[in-house]
Amino acid sequence: MGELALMRKSTWLSRRSFTGGGASCLFFGNLGASKAAQDNSLRFGLTPVFLNNDLQLLETLKSYLETATGYSVELVSRRTYQEVTALLISGQVDGAWICGYPYIQFKDDLELLAVPEWNGKQLYQSYLIVGTDRNADDITDLRNDIHAFSDPDSNSGFLVTRSLMFEHGFQPETFFRKTLYTYGHRNVIRAVASGLAQSGSVDGYVWEVMLEMEPELVSRTRILRKSQWLGFPPIATSVKFAGSQKIHLLQTALIDMANNAQGRQVLELFKLTGFGLPQEANFDGIAQMVSKLREVL
Amino acid sequence: MSRPFSLLRIPLIWRVTLAVALLMILVSAVITERVLNRLGTIQQIYLQSTADSYVNGVNASISSSVINEDSWEIFDVLERLKPTNTAIVPIQTIVTNKAGTILAATDPVKHPSLSQLPEDLISQFSSTAIRISSESALAFLERDIQYQDKKIGKIYTVFDAKTLLNERKEVLTTLILTNALVTALLAFGGFLTVRRMLRPLQTLESHMIEAVDGKAQKILVGSSLARNWEARRLFRAYNSLIEADEQRRELSFKLAEEERLASLGRLSSVMAHEINNPLGGLLNAVDTIRKHGANAQIRDRSVDLLERGLQGIAEVVRGALATYRPDRQSRPLGEGDFHDVKMLISPELRQRNQKLDLETDWDSGFACNLPSGPVRQAMTNLLLNASAASYDHADLLLKVKRSADRLQIEVGDRGGGLPIESVKMLTGQIEKSLPAGKGLGLWVVRQIASELDAKLEVTPRAGGGSIISMALPIEVKPEIENAA
Repeated sequence: MGELALMRKSTWLSRRSFTGGGASCLFFGNLGASKAAQDNSLRFGLTPVFLNNDLQLLETLKSYLETATGYSVELVSRRTYQEVTALLISGQVDGAWICGYPYIQFKDDLELLAVPEWNGKQLYQSYLIVGTDRNADDITDLRNDIHAFSDPDSNSGFLVTRSLMFEHGFQPETFFRKTLYTYGHRNVIRAVASGLAQSGSVDGYVWEVMLEMEPELVSRTRILRKSQWLGFPPIATSVKFAGSQKIHLLQTALIDMANNAQGRQVLELFKLTGFGLPQEANFDGIAQMVSKLREVL
Repeated sequence: MSRPFSLLRIPLIWRVTLAVALLMILVSAVITERVLNRLGTIQQIYLQSTADSYVNGVNASISSSVINEDSWEIFDVLERLKPTNTAIVPIQTIVTNKAGTILAATDPVKHPSLSQLPEDLISQFSSTAIRISSESALAFLERDIQYQDKKIGKIYTVFDAKTLLNERKEVLTTLILTNALVTALLAFGGFLTVRRMLRPLQTLESHMIEAVDGKAQKILVGSSLARNWEARRLFRAYNSLIEADEQRRELSFKLAEEERLASLGRLSSVMAHEINNPLGGLLNAVDTIRKHGANAQIRDRSVDLLERGLQGIAEVVRGALATYRPDRQSRPLGEGDFHDVKMLISPELRQRNQKLDLETDWDSGFACNLPSGPVRQAMTNLLLNASAASYDHADLLLKVKRSADRLQIEVGDRGGGLPIESVKMLTGQIEKSLPAGKGLGLWVVRQIASELDAKLEVTPRAGGGSIISMALPIEVKPEIENAA
């Protein structure tokens, strides 16, 4: 991945930002690259797609990765996909758990290491959810809603619904009365469950896992529509680090997680069945949506 | 007609108890008012500071989100900053933009984003000071959201003030209960103390009431009632009073007896004179009979003389006997007693050529319950006094009038009127002590009248002099009345 490519992607990031976030990504770009390469630590980025507010979960993952790779692992959490993706592309983290949508957007700069398997598959769905008592059958009934998205760079939490609206010819500025970005799938569920938003777009995996963990909250929402099966948010690295010993150890640790007791403990906390080698075809659906919306986004 | 209620009619012991209770209630009311006032101020300050810190915290956290009208961020902040361990909990927080449109609220269903805040809710808020509504147990606070000294929105917060109001209510209840208990205890303590303090006085009072009824008894100074020296001193003083009174009574009795004997002596001397006067004539008659007894005419005249003389002596002796024989003292008063008194006094009257008119309104069968002895004594004293006060040849009066329930005896003189002291002695407050100087006879009359529950009156007599009336209550004996 050359400097030119990084600049191109950064320009896109800046356009989507209303603060200096994009600029800071550029600033930390060179600085972070050298930092990740110099020390013996392994920096691993996380996005809100996971239940990263669970400290025990993070601690268990960190412990496993340290044991499995032999590196001192530092978990790096950021609020938005944009920030984590920027860290990954700029090399400030060695690897990161990102979303399929940023992967498709920055495919040239990223290389997939592994994809989580949920119920034995590397696939998940996007759910369009509403309040339990909401009288609605499909997206057309959601006109004039306050709608909660997870993140503008989230596949399940934005892209799928945006694509659906596009298919129906709905303009987001007029179809919804207001849109919210909650920067977390759990927050989308909270927004809809509380009534702040009348509908929301959420990661199906997160919704299902939270239904087990927080049934009181999630049961105040219901699924209006499930999307097609799409590629599960993958673990990626910057193409700059691809093939390095550290990245190889990270990939092996992920793939072997189901074969290790400590790893199974991590998987249990994530409610996953394991990690597998990437199957690029799983992301074709996301790529098609991105392609379809390229002109309007 | 019943008299109006007066506190003075309540016994002292209850008055003191009531006073203690009222005082304590007053003190309690003042204390309660002060405590609640102070508590209210403290709670207001606490509520204001707690509310301020919450609202200021929210304000600082959401100002940038308010600019961006980011409803989720505002909602998330409201959710996260909601305190749970304070005495007041914000139960409703609403954030609006400058135009008054709701951006986010803790209860989005009730106050949806992009809607307008209801006017009736806005009216509950008053400037920046917190307002507590006792009716709803809620507190209301609004605050402008400032960004770079410009107003960009408003925060409306409704707090649950139930805990504070309950605390105030609990304090009030505790104060009332505590004060009521303390009041009751103090009132009861006051009652016991006053009762203990007043017990010697009550003992004294009961003994004095008994003394008034003529059953005066000394108080045992060594008894459990005389616990302190003041009570003992009081009892000793009372006992001394009783002793002195007894002594005075004995002295009075003795003096009265002496007076009776003195009057008896006086009458005896007069009687002796009355007996002695005819004795010369009688002895002459005896000599005449002895010398000229053969002459029937002379003898008969002498015998007649003897008989008249002896009859006169017999009348004098009979009157004296009727007056002073003890067995006749208590027999019921009869009409003969008035004639006896007239007979008894007649020698005294003769000496001064005075006349006594006896008028009695006494049916032959009438009888009453009055004892003859004291009444005769009183009449004798009054007549002796009337005789002494009147001039020679005066016409004295002894009049007896009878009504259904009383017997009125009037003694009239022809003197210059009774001295004020004598009138006071007869009609005024009874004097238990003996009068100084003369007037013992009238004092005895007053004592007798008192004993017989009789009323004495002094009125002027037509033609000069005074009339002393003694109205005696009587109980007519019906069988005798009917028999009459």
